[in-house]
Amino acid sequence: MTDNKIYFKFDGKKYGGNKGDTIASALLRNNVKLVGRSFKYHRPRGIYTCGIEEPNALVQIINEHNEPNVRATVKKIYEGMVVKSQNRWPSLKRDFGSVNNLLSPIFSAGFYYKTFMGPKGFWKNLYEPLIRRTAGLGKPPREFKSKSTHLHHNVDILIVGGGLSGLLAAKKLAGTNKDVLLIERENELGGILKNSNKVKSINDQEALEWLEKTERLLKNSANIKILKNTTVTTYNYSNHLTAIEDRLVGIEPDNKKPELILHKIRTENTILANGHIERFLSFRNNDLPGVMLAASFEKYVQRYGVVPDNNPVIFTNNSSTFSLLKLLIDRNCMPKAYVDVRDVKKIERETLDLLEAHNIPFYPKSEVEGCDGNNEIKKISLRTKKNKIIKIKASMLCVSGGINPDIHLFTQSKGLVKWDEKILTFKPEKSFQKTITLGSVSGNFIFKKIIDEVSQKLNFIDGANDLDLKIEVNGSEEFNIKEIWETKNNKKSLWSKSFIDLQNDVTTKDLTQAIKEGFDRIEHLKRFTTNSMGTDQGKISSINALGIVSKLLKKSVSEVGTTTYRPPYNPVSFSAIAGRSTYEFYDPERKTPIHPWHLKHNAVFEDVGQWKRPWYYKKFENETMNEAVQRESKQVRESAGILDGSTLGKIEIKGKDALEFVNMMYTNSFTKMSPMSAKYALMLGEDGMVKDDGIVCKINDNHFITTTTSGGAANVLSHMEEFAQTEWPNLNVYLNSITEQFATFNISGPKSRIILSRVFNNIDFSNHKFPYMTFNTFDYLNYKVRILRASFTGEKGYEIYVPPKYALTLWERIFYYSRDVDLVPYGTETMHLLRAEKGYIIVGQETDGTVTPLDLNLNWMIGKKKKDFIGKRSLTRSDIIKGDRKQLVGLIPLDKSYGIEEGQHVIEDKNIPSQIDKPIKMLGHVTSSYFSPTLNHSIAMALIKGGNRKIGSQIYVSTSNMNVIPVEVVKPNFLDPENKRLLS
Amino acid sequence: MLLIKCPYCGERDQSEFTNGGEAHVTRPKNPELETDRGWAEYVFIRSNPKGIYYERWVHSHGCKKWFNAVRNTSTDEILLSYKIGETPPPIKKFQNRLKSPSGEPDVGSGNFAVKKP
Ligand SMILES: [Zn+2]
Repeated sequence: MTDNKIYFKFDGKKYGGNKGDTIASALLRNNVKLVGRSFKYHRPRGIYTCGIEEPNALVQIINEHNEPNVRATVKKIYEGMVVKSQNRWPSLKRDFGSVNNLLSPIFSAGFYYKTFMGPKGFWKNLYEPLIRRTAGLGKPPREFKSKSTHLHHNVDILIVGGGLSGLLAAKKLAGTNKDVLLIERENELGGILKNSNKVKSINDQEALEWLEKTERLLKNSANIKILKNTTVTTYNYSNHLTAIEDRLVGIEPDNKKPELILHKIRTENTILANGHIERFLSFRNNDLPGVMLAASFEKYVQRYGVVPDNNPVIFTNNSSTFSLLKLLIDRNCMPKAYVDVRDVKKIERETLDLLEAHNIPFYPKSEVEGCDGNNEIKKISLRTKKNKIIKIKASMLCVSGGINPDIHLFTQSKGLVKWDEKILTFKPEKSFQKTITLGSVSGNFIFKKIIDEVSQKLNFIDGANDLDLKIEVNGSEEFNIKEIWETKNNKKSLWSKSFIDLQNDVTTKDLTQAIKEGFDRIEHLKRFTTNSMGTDQGKISSINALGIVSKLLKKSVSEVGTTTYRPPYNPVSFSAIAGRSTYEFYDPERKTPIHPWHLKHNAVFEDVGQWKRPWYYKKFENETMNEAVQRESKQVRESAGILDGSTLGKIEIKGKDALEFVNMMYTNSFTKMSPMSAKYALMLGEDGMVKDDGIVCKINDNHFITTTTSGGAANVLSHMEEFAQTEWPNLNVYLNSITEQFATFNISGPKSRIILSRVFNNIDFSNHKFPYMTFNTFDYLNYKVRILRASFTGEKGYEIYVPPKYALTLWERIFYYSRDVDLVPYGTETMHLLRAEKGYIIVGQETDGTVTPLDLNLNWMIGKKKKDFIGKRSLTRSDIIKGDRKQLVGLIPLDKSYGIEEGQHVIEDKNIPSQIDKPIKMLGHVTSSYFSPTLNHSIAMALIKGGNRKIGSQIYVSTSNMNVIPVEVVKPNFLDPENKRLLS
Repeated sequence: MLLIKCPYCGERDQSEFTNGGEAHVTRPKNPELETDRGWAEYVFIRSNPKGIYYERWVHSHGCKKWFNAVRNTSTDEILLSYKIGETPPPIKKFQNRLKSPSGEPDVGSGNFAVKKP
């Protein structure tokens, strides 16, 4: 490229911009004014501001991310950038949705709550599709892998804003022993020095020369770190702030480089020097492309060297527009008119002189009534002193409605603000944290006073430098403003609107209507009208709304109050928040040592917590889950099955008082239990509800190992820790998670003993030598295994604990020795079926935190003679012993082949009326349901009111196709109630 | 994000901790002697005041130790943290910044951002 231009496309057309241009400055450079369509009415919109406060110029960047709602006034262009306007169809100039503007009576305040109420069915078939088509902003981004990162800072002083006040603060701290972090939103320091010509000189140097020298000084100060292109978005408690750094300023996204950095900052003191935001004014068609805030216009000229229009009209109610007037005149761009709401007596001498010297049409005590034009301003209509309407041909209007300290971060910090009658805005009044505000954010709009302010507020810092500076400004020293929020307008047609929120298309009329309907509290009014609820959060208009509302309610603005400023300060990309914690880094996957074998044998996995557990194994390509589960469970009952139980939580409990502790944690009694034996145990919460179950193995009174459910391991350990540390710190007991120290296999089925005897041929597995619920540790090859005779399935079974290193080899060895015995690997679904056949509960399936052991008929697990354990007293509370609590029962459908659906309602009545007008009495719900291949019929478990008394009776279960089926209530034990298989 | 002082590790980010509810709710020595009402007081009922109160925290992503802290629930200031078993000063020893009858502090509650005229 020879011409140093950066080329990009906007809506398919190629444009050239300069290096450093934002999309907006580059478009203005090419005289493009229409850049988008509005949210509700699809009205044409242009570029309103020159920064983060932009309500209108939101665009979509078409690239690897397809980022929507990008503020054209912030995003810098890069070579080949493809930009599209949003919310228009088929094209920006001829937009179909603009018909909404003519339907605007429908879209008035509260339309979200009123319009789409009925009739029935209209929402689904008409409203929602219509809204999805025409409302809203950009299109969702593409899925992409975030390469953003997080960085932490611990500093003494954070300075937010690298404008004049921020630089003065940094200068005061340069070379001290304070760690200082200075954060600037733009790509260059300077703020007002760069954005305007308000400051004439500092210490007799040109403002930009002083800026350059100061930046050099700060860069050479070892205690100051500067971050540019970084926006502080959040101010939390304890001086914790977060900021987002954009690493792709003027650069195309690159797969390999981080795009955003989320800085998390903890600081002792925070200096807010984040400046101010100019506010707009409401008048007829104040949204037309060509209307721009005055200071933004000035910033385009000063910072970007773009003059958006050679002869704009300036409309103001305050003294700050002097600098724009001077800037234009200096460039020989004569404004078409200077319109000031104030009386000529109140207007500064400097302004009057300048206007007179250059013969600029001047209208004091006048206001802009409205603008007219199709897709941009053609004529501006003024209401002059004697209520006379004058029309001026012009294509741009620069507006200033006053200046607001940017108090967003200050109020996030929980500081208190106060209305200032002199400058007509809120300014910080009292800090809650160690927060200092400097410059315009503190309501100090007078440059000469800034040096004093900085010195005074920062003198408490040890070793702070003296600031010996002199600032000269262009124009008047003082700030003067006259209150006005909306001008009187001559409504002409439906197209005429006076906006209070440009992004959400809220008009001043909507505010009036909302108050008329009773929404006179500012928080209600905001939600009812959606005022200031856009992505710009009403940065240029929310104070105006308070002004208008206060007039309508005849209250002071202080009485009206503000709505709460909530973080983030401006829109934050989710990818910045996510950082590297996406996909496999978001939630780690835990795999057992047998995982490769499961993969090889076509296991389909289920997520249990973070664990990947085999759900079932596909024996052949087209085997369905149901087929696999039927096959697996039948084979377990007929020969033998093996389950990878390595995911079960294992906790080791040691210490002199281990026995006492375990007795307190579980319902069962462990005192008389002999060493090297085990017990199925229940853990309750103090409220008496079942929390977890598992097997407690007693090695001796000082040493226990307990198992927990796969998903509950961490919770159970912290539950135990909590009681050990807080209730009984006197007990000598130590807890350790040993889940990963052992892989666990559960082998069950009639042939399990044969298999184990072959694998471990030196161990006697006979009932007599190795009875049910005992365990031992054995030497095997060159390591140790622990084997426990226990059962998950109601079949004869063994649990093998093996160091993970040897687990896969042992697993394969077991299969090697079972070649002729038909050992089947089975997954969690088959385990559930096998347990359901026996009526064994699954915590989390049969229980939901409202179920006691009594409800489950597990009274036998409660150590009756134990004086105390966690939850014991709750089991005798009057509500817990009530007979009509929901109790666990078994259900068998009368049509035994019918599959009951899990989660369905259990009801007493056979008939469900087709039109349901009163609640149907519900007994409970189905917790588990399977077809048992061994029994050859359907079985289910359910929690139903007074279930124990209903055994033997007939009730009904609802179905998903609005039917009911009759079922018989039975005891929840469908197979081998005498436990012959278990004990054989 | 709060900065919380673990009595064992020092000041750390809130994200390392888990809140454990009100502190100094002692488990009855003889639960079986408690009435339903008395037992429910221990299991379910907490004071939940607006203002200064004792609460438990656990340094769950750190040393895993439980400890107690004194926090102003109205402003989220943590005024003190101390080990289990240590006796804290009585509530009235802490400077209470709550002044108005509704319990609203003049600054910091977040409920009112604007100074009343
Ligand atoms: Zn700690």
